[in-house]
Amino acid sequence: MGRYLLRRLLLLVPVLLGVSVVVFLVLHLSPGDPAEIMLGSQASQADVARLRADLGLDEPLPLQYARWMAHVLQGDLGRSIRMRQPVLGEVLIRFRATLILTTTALFLSTVCGIALGVLSAARPRSLVDRLSTLGSIFGASMPSFWLGLVLMVCFSLWLGWLPASGMYGAHGTGGLADLLSHLALPAVTLAAASTTIIARLTRSTMLDILRQDFVRTARAKGLVERGVVLRHALRNALIPTVTVVGVQAGYLLGGAILTETVFAWPGVGTLMIQGILARDFPLVQGCVLVIALGFVLFNLAVDLLYAFLDPRIRYE
Amino acid sequence: MKRRRFWSCATLALLVALTAGAPPAPAQSASTLVVGLVAEPVALDPAQVTDLNSTRVARRVVETLVRYADDSTEIVPYLAESWTISKDGLSYTFKLRRGVTFHDGTPFNAQAVKFSFERQFNAEHPANKLGKYPFATYFFGGVKAIDAIDDQTVRFVLKEPRASFLAILIVPAAAIVSPTAVLKLGQDFAVSPVGTGPFKFASWDRGQRVVLEKNPSYWRFPVKVDRVIFRPITEDQARLTELLTGSIDLIVGTPPDFVAQLENHPKVTLQKQVGAHVWYLGFNNTKKPFDDRRVRQALNYAVNKEAIVRDVLKGTGAVSKGPVLPGTWGDEGGLKAFPYDPERAKKLLAEAGLPSGFSTTLWVPESGSGMQSPVAMSTIIQSNLKAVGVNVTLQTMEWGTFLAKLRTKEQDMFALSWMAGSEDPDLVMYPLLHSSQWTPVGPNRALYKNPRFDEVLAQARLVTDQAKRAELYREAQRLLHDDPPWIFIDHEVQTAAFAKRVQGFKLHPSFDLRVETISLK
Repeated sequence: MGRYLLRRLLLLVPVLLGVSVVVFLVLHLSPGDPAEIMLGSQASQADVARLRADLGLDEPLPLQYARWMAHVLQGDLGRSIRMRQPVLGEVLIRFRATLILTTTALFLSTVCGIALGVLSAARPRSLVDRLSTLGSIFGASMPSFWLGLVLMVCFSLWLGWLPASGMYGAHGTGGLADLLSHLALPAVTLAAASTTIIARLTRSTMLDILRQDFVRTARAKGLVERGVVLRHALRNALIPTVTVVGVQAGYLLGGAILTETVFAWPGVGTLMIQGILARDFPLVQGCVLVIALGFVLFNLAVDLLYAFLDPRIRYE
Repeated sequence: MKRRRFWSCATLALLVALTAGAPPAPAQSASTLVVGLVAEPVALDPAQVTDLNSTRVARRVVETLVRYADDSTEIVPYLAESWTISKDGLSYTFKLRRGVTFHDGTPFNAQAVKFSFERQFNAEHPANKLGKYPFATYFFGGVKAIDAIDDQTVRFVLKEPRASFLAILIVPAAAIVSPTAVLKLGQDFAVSPVGTGPFKFASWDRGQRVVLEKNPSYWRFPVKVDRVIFRPITEDQARLTELLTGSIDLIVGTPPDFVAQLENHPKVTLQKQVGAHVWYLGFNNTKKPFDDRRVRQALNYAVNKEAIVRDVLKGTGAVSKGPVLPGTWGDEGGLKAFPYDPERAKKLLAEAGLPSGFSTTLWVPESGSGMQSPVAMSTIIQSNLKAVGVNVTLQTMEWGTFLAKLRTKEQDMFALSWMAGSEDPDLVMYPLLHSSQWTPVGPNRALYKNPRFDEVLAQARLVTDQAKRAELYREAQRLLHDDPPWIFIDHEVQTAAFAKRVQGFKLHPSFDLRVETISLK
């Protein structure tokens, strides 16, 4: 177990290196440069050239990458070009907000998705099953920004129950209740698509398992149906579900960008969009590295969870 | 069992870790004003930013030597009580206001003025390396020296006369900052500015809000609100919802589609004000067929500007007849905007030897500062031009890409705007249309050159008498009308929507957001 963990953690290094090279190249090779955007449409060529030199952007790309990497290895992600602040601090502040949003959404979609899946599988072709199928089609086909706007208009504008944007109210208490009320709409918006995927998968896996011999044995033993479904079938159905939840966690981290923008959620997604528009290379590189790290760690956690759920799985 | 307890503990620990350290919100107060911005400020040192959201917040904290009057862009005293301009137009001497101090207690004096400018353009200055100063050469490149004659007197000596120099001293980069704070805070000054303004910088929760507290000893008048909170909310619907549900008191940049809804809303007031801005469709004046004046005139007749302003902008634009804002001192009131006249356009095209029109491309940024609704506007222009036989291919691109491509000089036509924030024609016409400013040296991306126009503009820089300057600029506008460098489209009408409890607010033509005049009912 310990050696496995070590090996997986070592594998992080090439993954993150690869990510850093790709992000660096994509950013630097796409048209538009930060000096130009920062100075705006009034700038002269000379101003732009001077700023480019100041920022070290006139050097060859491999040299720029090497210099950046050397700093990253010392834990310094550089300074944001447009905000002039250290990237690491900025990204960490924002990553906390993103993590609150994505973990809540992941929790919601896992709980709701599994519950819906189990209910549908336990009574196939029942009303619950049909409604959940219909809901899944809706959930999977609605773009999150559209769903977000609809929820906002309903629950904020018309009903006035929930705040429309931000993480804490300007006049609020700044406490947990304030946070939760602001979290509700973005978390539901973000969770919608994942919920349907998890529900569909849980349903089909459960249907397979409920047909297997050990389930028949359990029923034959005279166990109550609820015990059969929850204790025997569900636990076995969870392995593929957990895999999907792990993948969804990664998607939620990335997909949070849209939801964050709609609800002015101060997460790393909104920061990254500002960074991309301004071609703020160090900032975007920092954001992507942190998101990639989160993605990989989530996946590692999922792999470790297998062993917990199924004692037959052992990591050597 | 043990394992289960481990997981619940871990979950609890994660929750606590995530929610701990939430910023303490200010207690609810009847005298806190909450403003919704379209985007988050980038930084708050006015000399280091180029975007409107940053300067709108920063100007509450820092002030300039002169300013625009409350209702117009007439230049009036501010931190300077009075000034004299030498006969040759080369030296400007300012008498500074006495008894003003920066928020950190540093006295405001001639040394502070000298410091605020020199840090930007003097590479040897101790504060020069503490930031990047984008406007150092653009605005202050013509300054030869700044002399602090005594505590209350400062003199700017110019390399050559520049009649618009006073207007330049109003730009955000000309703000006077506390030298003590700049040297003490170093690079962090950019996110925690110290000035003499009506509000003091208090805190900034990244992505969430910038909080300013009232300056109790403000020198101009007692400020009536205790605190202003600026919240960045990019999504239009979210900003509007927050206003209508009372979480926000004031928003700027109302999207055109919401204007009608807000105009008759019982809970809010909608205010409009034409800003010192121009939206234009530039030609590459050096390329065929745009090198023919008749073609450029024809295309001006071919575009239905009223329809654009009415249907796309929903009244958030005023039809433009040229680069100068109508009704201001430099405006040539005798000129009328090109009327919508497709027949005349076709006739002119035929005269130019293009009876069956031609094909061309139009570069359009998807968005950008002051660009209003670029794609929708360009689409109407495209169909208008098709009606007179000109086939336009629209090429939309992202703002950064767009700016870079314009330097290649390969453009046929391009959609662009200019937010001078000043009515001084020199700050609009000279950079955009004088031939010395051809891209990539300057922002004349239409590559326009008209020798008489060049001469008039250069002359107008040398005279300090405003009436004489106005006469020259009127001639310049007549020249532009006859030999149009662009299709003139509109001047942005800025909008602000605010709750009924907000009293005493007025939008300013310079796009400044003067919330210090507000009191809350």
